[in-house]
Amino acid sequence: MDLLTTSVATGDSDGGPYTLVVLAGEADVTNSGALRELLDAEVAKEPRTLVIDLSELRFMDSSALHVVLRANRAMDRQGGVLALAGPRDPVAKMLRLTAADQLLPVYATVAEATAE
Amino acid sequence: MTEQEHAAPLRTPPPPGDDAICHTYRTDLAKVRALVLQQARAAGLGEGRANDLVLAVSEVAANTLRHTRSAGTLTIWREAGELVCEIEDEGTITDPLAGQRRPGPDATGGHGLWLVYQVCDLVELRSDESGTTIRMHMAVNPPPAGPRPAP
Repeated sequence: MDLLTTSVATGDSDGGPYTLVVLAGEADVTNSGALRELLDAEVAKEPRTLVIDLSELRFMDSSALHVVLRANRAMDRQGGVLALAGPRDPVAKMLRLTAADQLLPVYATVAEATAE
Repeated sequence: MTEQEHAAPLRTPPPPGDDAICHTYRTDLAKVRALVLQQARAAGLGEGRANDLVLAVSEVAANTLRHTRSAGTLTIWREAGELVCEIEDEGTITDPLAGQRRPGPDATGGHGLWLVYQVCDLVELRSDESGTTIRMHMAVNPPPAGPRPAP
């Protein structure tokens, strides 16, 4: 079984169309290259909103965080918004300690992330 | 930890042979994390602090993959009132204050060792041209004697 599984979907909500990337499992240095490729490809499609669902992610290390921060910067540059949704405890704490939660919006659920 | 301590010998004696757990890793960091989590729980760390230690050890082990071409060694042992995880590899850290400054808010690097220092009770780091040893300590609270009074 893969350590990290990913899926991508697009949706439409009151807040407009969005792209949803779902991460499940453990995101670390051994799969951050693949994660980077995935996010780069989605950012290149210039969505207005890109939501990363973290609710099924058991673990995230700093290399995975850096890939997310890099995608956030790219989304910023092209006038879009990257948001995180549903981080569980270890991941939520890591986002807090690195102050990443000050840099990009973190919502409790995907529904909240796509509502605005 | 101050710069002076960087050059001082490790505070604690080397791990005792018998009850220490030793694990050599190359790329399987999930195995490293599972081992640390299991040992942290067995030592009585709460779930939050167990996960903190898992994050710290995983970050240090990730540096082995990133910066060396060889395997790293994880050793876990208990000593008076604490659980210690040590990572040894052939990498060299030249900055004695590595990880002790908070990376800039939008930095896309440098958070690994910062996190290690944030979540552990004590971090000892020794590094020279022959390799790096990082010991991460977590205090273990002994269970209270007798039954707990009802809240």
